[in-house]
Amino acid sequence: MNHANKRIFDDSSADARRVVLPWRRTIQMCIANVRHRFGRSTLTFICIAVVVAFFASSMSYQFIIDKAMKSDDVHIQAVLEKAGVFTHDKQSLEKQKDQQIWLMTLSAILCLVGITNTILMSVTERFREIGTLKCLGALNEFVVRLFLIESAFIGVIASIIGGLLGCLLAALQVGAAFEFSLLGGTTFLQSFTASLPKAVGLGTVLTLLASLYPTYIASRMKPVDAMRVEV
Amino acid sequence: MNTKREIVRTQDVKKTYVMGDETVHALSGISLTIDAGEYISIMGPSGSGKSTFFNMVGGLDKPTSGEVYIDEVDIAQLDTYELAWLRCRKIGYIFQTFNLIPVMTALENVTLPMVFAGTDPDEAREKGANLLSLVSLGERLNHKPAQMSGGQQQRVAIARSLANDPAIILADEPTGNLDLKTGRDVIELLTKLKEERGVTIITATHDMKMLDVSDRVVWITDGKISKIQHRDEIDIQVGTINGMEEA
Repeated sequence: MNHANKRIFDDSSADARRVVLPWRRTIQMCIANVRHRFGRSTLTFICIAVVVAFFASSMSYQFIIDKAMKSDDVHIQAVLEKAGVFTHDKQSLEKQKDQQIWLMTLSAILCLVGITNTILMSVTERFREIGTLKCLGALNEFVVRLFLIESAFIGVIASIIGGLLGCLLAALQVGAAFEFSLLGGTTFLQSFTASLPKAVGLGTVLTLLASLYPTYIASRMKPVDAMRVEV
Repeated sequence: MNTKREIVRTQDVKKTYVMGDETVHALSGISLTIDAGEYISIMGPSGSGKSTFFNMVGGLDKPTSGEVYIDEVDIAQLDTYELAWLRCRKIGYIFQTFNLIPVMTALENVTLPMVFAGTDPDEAREKGANLLSLVSLGERLNHKPAQMSGGQQQRVAIARSLANDPAIILADEPTGNLDLKTGRDVIELLTKLKEERGVTIITATHDMKMLDVSDRVVWITDGKISKIQHRDEIDIQVGTINGMEEA
C-alpha cells in the first residue's frame, strides 16, 4: 500500500521536488536584515570594531617603528635615539612582544564570547521568524546560510571601520611618542596596507567563529516554533 | 467537488511525551478523514491535545504510533527534503501572530514560498501581485508589515499561504489577534477561498464565529475526539455549546 501512497512525489521530476534558495536572493535577504536590524546588531558591531581597532593599531604601530629603525635618515635616527628606542635591550623588547600577543589573544577570546552572546540573543529573539521560514519550506541549510552570511556582512563592515580607526590611532600614537615625521614619505600609507587586510581578515574570521554556535541553534529550530505565542 | 477525495487521513494516531519520569499521552488514538475542499475546525480546551493533533495534520510533527497521510503520502516516511517540499507546496500556513517577515515588503513576503519552490522571479512577482489583489491589498505591494494593520497583515499572510497553490491551508487561531470585525473579514476570506478555489481549510480555534462556516467541527478532549459536528447540527447550538466554550 505504501508504494501506491508515494504517488504525488513520483509524477514530479526529482529536480522539481527540491526546495531552493538562490544565492542572489540569500544575499538580498541578508542585506535587508542587516540594514533593518542595525540597532539590534550595534552591540556586535561595536564589539568587533573595537577589537579590530586594537589589532590594527598594534600592528600598524609596530610596522611604523620597525620601518623607522631601518631608515637611514639622520633626522629619524636622531628622533628614535632621543626617545630611547635603541637603549632597550633585545630581551625586554621580546618580552614586550610576548605581552602584546598575550593581550591580543585575550581580547580575541573576550570578543568571541561577547559576540556569540549577542548573536545568540538575536537568534532566540527571532524564533518565530525562523519557524515561519521553515513552515514555508526552508531547509536547515538555508537558515545556516542566511545567518552566516549576515554575520559575515556585519563582521566585514565592522572590521573595516575598526581597522581604519586603529591605523589612524597608531599614527597619532607615533606622533605623540616620537614625531610625525616618522610617517613621512609613503610610510603612512604603507602602515595601512600592511595591517588593514590582516586586521579585517581576523575580525571577519572572529565574527564567523562567534556566529557558528548561534547559527547551529537557529538551524535546529522547528517549524512548530512559528506557532508559539508567548514571547 | 462532487466526488469526494480524501486529503488528510489519520489512523489511530498516538503521541506521547516523556517529561521527567512521567509519560504524557497527548493523543490517545485519533482517526479522522478530511476530504478535499472541506472547512474543518478543530476545537478543544488548552491541554486537550488539540494543538498536537493540529500540528500533526499539518506535517509539523510526527506521531509516536499510528499514521498520518497527507494527500495519500505517509508523512512518517518522508525525509527532511521531502517534508520541506510538502510544507512548501502542499500546505499553506496561517498563524495567530501573522508571522510576516518584518524586513520584507508585502510582495516579498508573498513571493518567498515561490522562491523556495524555484518559481521564476518574474512569474512569482506577477502571481504575488495577483494574490495580493485577491485579498484586496493590490495597492500595498511595497508596504512593510509594520506599516499595516493586523487585519491587513493577516490578509498578506493568507495571500502568502496560497503562493504555491497548496491543497491544504492550515490556520492556527487565525482570528485570535484580531478584533471582531477584522476577524469576521478574515473568516469570510477563508470561506471564499474554500468555495472558489476548492482549498481544504483546517483551523484550530476558540473562535465561535468560525463554527458558522465550518463544514465539520472536531472536538478534542483528553487526546481523543469527543464529538464531530456537521454544519447543520451546529447552527442551532451556537452559544449554548455545553461547557466546552471555556478558554
